[in-house]
Amino acid sequence: MINEKVSVISSYDRMKGFVMPKKMRWQGKDYILIKLTYHHKIREGRNIQHIFHVTDGSMDFRLRLDSETLHWTLEEVTDGTAN
Amino acid sequence: MELPINKNKPLIMHVDLNSCFATVEQQANSHLRGKPLVIAAYTTPNGCVVAPSIEAKTFGIKTGMTVREARLLCSHVIVRDPDPALIRDVHIKFRNIFQDYSPHVTPKSIDEAIIDFSDMTHVLRRSLSEIGTEIKYRLRHEIGEWISCSIGIGPNRFLAKLAAGLQKPDGLVTIDHRNLLGVLEKQSLTDLPGINTRFEARLNAGGITNAIEFYHAPMDVLKKQVFQSILGYYWYQRLRGWEVDAIDFERKSYGQDYALQKHTNDPHELSKIIMKLCEKMGRRLRNAGYEAKGIHVSCIYRDGTYWHKGKTMQQTMFTTLDLFRKALWVLNHQPDKTKLVSKISVSCFNLDKNPGAQFSLFDNEDKERLVQDATDKINAKYGEFVITPALMMGMNNVILDRISFGNVRDLENLYDEPSG
Repeated sequence: MINEKVSVISSYDRMKGFVMPKKMRWQGKDYILIKLTYHHKIREGRNIQHIFHVTDGSMDFRLRLDSETLHWTLEEVTDGTAN
Repeated sequence: MELPINKNKPLIMHVDLNSCFATVEQQANSHLRGKPLVIAAYTTPNGCVVAPSIEAKTFGIKTGMTVREARLLCSHVIVRDPDPALIRDVHIKFRNIFQDYSPHVTPKSIDEAIIDFSDMTHVLRRSLSEIGTEIKYRLRHEIGEWISCSIGIGPNRFLAKLAAGLQKPDGLVTIDHRNLLGVLEKQSLTDLPGINTRFEARLNAGGITNAIEFYHAPMDVLKKQVFQSILGYYWYQRLRGWEVDAIDFERKSYGQDYALQKHTNDPHELSKIIMKLCEKMGRRLRNAGYEAKGIHVSCIYRDGTYWHKGKTMQQTMFTTLDLFRKALWVLNHQPDKTKLVSKISVSCFNLDKNPGAQFSLFDNEDKERLVQDATDKINAKYGEFVITPALMMGMNNVILDRISFGNVRDLENLYDEPSG
């Protein structure tokens, strides 16, 4: 688990009602996110956390958007190799 | 009199998400796709494999193996923890899709559901095979392109489940009166859902060695000789496509268990774990509107021995503190308290649906209930374990969120969660 705050640029499609993180800056490096593979919500009391599983083509990232603070947290990075 | 095969139109659909836990991880993490992956309760060598991916299965990895065994079969297997929130979300999404087709959807586990079309013959404008194909399409488009399922269609739940298992992954098979015997001819006894090795041994002792012999066995032989109970009659009906399984079982108990990573016999450590288990169990009990009269505690020790004890109380238990006090009292009856505990379980039984219906003689008890109600409301609003008993301090990551698979009763708490 990484659990680091990251900077994110996201887009919102009003027709589809769809939010997609497009670009993430983590530890000084920019990652262009090309695909949202899964999005779901977790309720923590009255707060909703949005979990975005995204990929830049070479790695998968799990990003968390706290709907109360609007902070983005990078929770996990996977490159698909055996642990 | 011999019972004929059910020749009614097959109107039961069984949907089974293929390698659900692993497939869902592969959906969320695209770099895990096409690779041998196992989801294990714990990623440590002794952790139990909960679900192998379709690719891991080709190496012979099976559910129930340890991570160590999985690595022996495939050294480059990827091992991951389950992500309960992700799995629950997928479950809710697939249930919502199924409910677009019939109001009678029964989840059988986190990754299996039955869709009953029996009451819908007058509105069905297409075959169940067409609906099945559409469901597969919708799962891929609305949940994720990696999600696949096997669908079985049959005249009863048993044959629908059997059909779903015939073609994996991504199958769509119908069993009806025309192909039933042909299907049964190719099945062994343990291929039949509900027939385990114990039942197989019983059938073998009755001279039945495969599914088709099971089908041809006279009802009296099954009832009086093989099963020696009504079960024999149920199997006789099931195999002919008649429904005997459309029963909702009433909940009889609530329980929680925990496998200790660090085995201990320290009463303080054990009481902290018991408290957390009672809090989780108590929340579920109260959410469902029950109180309990019975409490049961069991321990598996490091030396492989087992102890358990249950007790029915005079007073009902409702609050976490009630449950905890009684569970601890039961735990103190262990005959040998020096043994190291490796797994501990607490459950409550003798459930009553109307908590607080009986007034207590003691004013204190009502106050405790009110405090518990208020605490539950605060936890529901601000998040689980925001207010906890002091004994649970520092236990945030002890007893992780887990999904029980195969136990449909535990899904009932799931449907209050927001879906994505």
